[in-house]
Amino acid sequence: MVLSQRQREELNKAIADYLCSNGYMDALEAFKAEADMPGEIERKYAGLLEKKWTSVIRLQKKVMELEVKLNEAEREYIAGAPTRDKRSPSEWIPRPPEKYCLSGHRAPVTRVIFHPLYSVMVSASEDGTIKLWDYETGDYEKTLKGHTDSIQDIAFDHSGKFLVSCSADMSIKLWDFTTYECVKTMHGHDHNVSSVTFMPSGDYLLSSSRDKSIKMWEVATGYCVKTFTGHREWVRMVRVCSDGSLIASCSNDQTVRVWLTATKECKAELREHDHVVECIAWCEGNACTAVNEAMATDNRKPSYQGPFLISGSRDKTIKVWDVGVGLCLFTLVGHDNWVRGLIVHPGGKYILSASDDKTVRIWDIKNKRCQKTLDAHSHFCTSLDMHRSAPYVITGSVDQTIKVWECR
Amino acid sequence: MNSAAVPTPIEDVQGDGRWLSMHNRFVSQAREMEPDVVFVGDSLVANLQSTDLWEKWFAPMHSLNFGIGGDQTQHVLWRLKNGELECIKPKAVVVLVGTNNHGHSASEVAGGITEICLTIREKQPKAYITVLTLLPRGEKPNPLREKNSQVNALIKEAIKNIELCQVVNINRDLVLGDGSIDHRDMYDYLHLTWQGYRRAFEPVYELLTQLLQENEETLLNDVTLESPASDNPPSEGAGQCAE
Repeated sequence: MVLSQRQREELNKAIADYLCSNGYMDALEAFKAEADMPGEIERKYAGLLEKKWTSVIRLQKKVMELEVKLNEAEREYIAGAPTRDKRSPSEWIPRPPEKYCLSGHRAPVTRVIFHPLYSVMVSASEDGTIKLWDYETGDYEKTLKGHTDSIQDIAFDHSGKFLVSCSADMSIKLWDFTTYECVKTMHGHDHNVSSVTFMPSGDYLLSSSRDKSIKMWEVATGYCVKTFTGHREWVRMVRVCSDGSLIASCSNDQTVRVWLTATKECKAELREHDHVVECIAWCEGNACTAVNEAMATDNRKPSYQGPFLISGSRDKTIKVWDVGVGLCLFTLVGHDNWVRGLIVHPGGKYILSASDDKTVRIWDIKNKRCQKTLDAHSHFCTSLDMHRSAPYVITGSVDQTIKVWECR
Repeated sequence: MNSAAVPTPIEDVQGDGRWLSMHNRFVSQAREMEPDVVFVGDSLVANLQSTDLWEKWFAPMHSLNFGIGGDQTQHVLWRLKNGELECIKPKAVVVLVGTNNHGHSASEVAGGITEICLTIREKQPKAYITVLTLLPRGEKPNPLREKNSQVNALIKEAIKNIELCQVVNINRDLVLGDGSIDHRDMYDYLHLTWQGYRRAFEPVYELLTQLLQENEETLLNDVTLESPASDNPPSEGAGQCAE
């Protein structure tokens, strides 16, 4: 084992304390001289070595107990998974193994999304292309070319007639999804465009960029009509709530911000993550009930009004926020690496997350715990989407593949 | 003047400009990829990227590999001073270079490595610097091995006063009892095999894991430092409050 400098100093002090408290005074003096450690040993090191010595065993025991419990729980719910005909849309969650593993991209996949109507999904990649796939048959359909650098995000409007994409080439492209042609290219950001989404009406779209700004564009003309400024660093993602009145964004400055669409005013600055915030999602509909259930105690039924927002960060956690009062309600801990993608289950009971720990996790909101972990990819899992009505989840990865998972 | 410690671009003797192409790619990767760990050095660093170990150990840490085959200390120094450490905030920088400095004495090579560390310290004041010891070379004991171990002894002393900078010995178990090096560890008695990489880089992996998780570790320490009794509250305590 190699120790860092700080650890070595701590260990030395703990050893010195041990020698001292056990009366090995000659050894202590010799050790102090050799370790170049004059003076008294601070009180906080009292008993440290013994505590460490014993806590390892204690923790080992605890780990073993937990593993046994986990095994039991796993057996129970695998055996207890509903069959295809018994599944209900509000309960179904993706289960291994994947139905399809699709390759074709020549670089990491950055985003995967479902078409709102057709049995089509779309993937974006660092190879600068967008690819269309049939998720029911696993067939490759088409490639859209136009961007000259990594594509960062893609989104459909509510009708699925238009697709929008944004890229590190600093442009935003609008694609007609009936002719598959690029009908508009929008320039205006001074750096990598990180994220893009349509307003619910479909008349406007929003983009965020490494240039620290968020911009609103009129779809009909391609003009930038609004710019939201305030983030101090790279804005990673922008998402609008379902009635279009609020816009949420997250950034390398470690904050999540919520903006009033009408006035461009920053309504809330949510600060609790201690690393880059990678992704956000609005938590609406039935999910609001689940959030309130999660906050309930034996003698208290809270009624948080929301709106609620979830965020995933490089600090490995997912946080659930009440934007109305500007508070973090609870934190979901379990991922072992950066959290890269988030989506709320259409039934409102679960949050699904994708992470650089290569897994997808399904979180039970009410009980604030991870219900299932899928070992999804052989490299970072960058993105996921869940179909609003059909039993499918899709994931994309740095391993350049896209996977389709069936839900039961 | 120690030419091992003077930033120098490599002379493009073959005429295909590969060295500069790689440097330019590293500079743009640094701008786009936001690495937590950066490896810099020669072929011993570069080849690590094509091993399974890279995928298993170092890629998940969000690492970038800035190794170029044949580089000497002055070349790495030039690269670091010309863009490879800009626009990033790595938590750790790992350095392994010097075994190719054939025109320099042990103290000159150590001077070059020290200069590299000082450059990293200046450009990335908060990053941990991990200097790896030069590996032994040649099947049997020979003057180059001698020189590399002298370099190792010298850098240990030289970097003592650089903050957050430490030397990690990666030579353990590479030289057998009879003084020879096994071809299963170093196939050409200079470069590492998969097994050799495993031996040499395991301590590096352990250390980086600890450095990257230092905050979480503090949390764990605090938890475990509570008395063992807090795990299993004594039952007599419960009796007192149950009224």
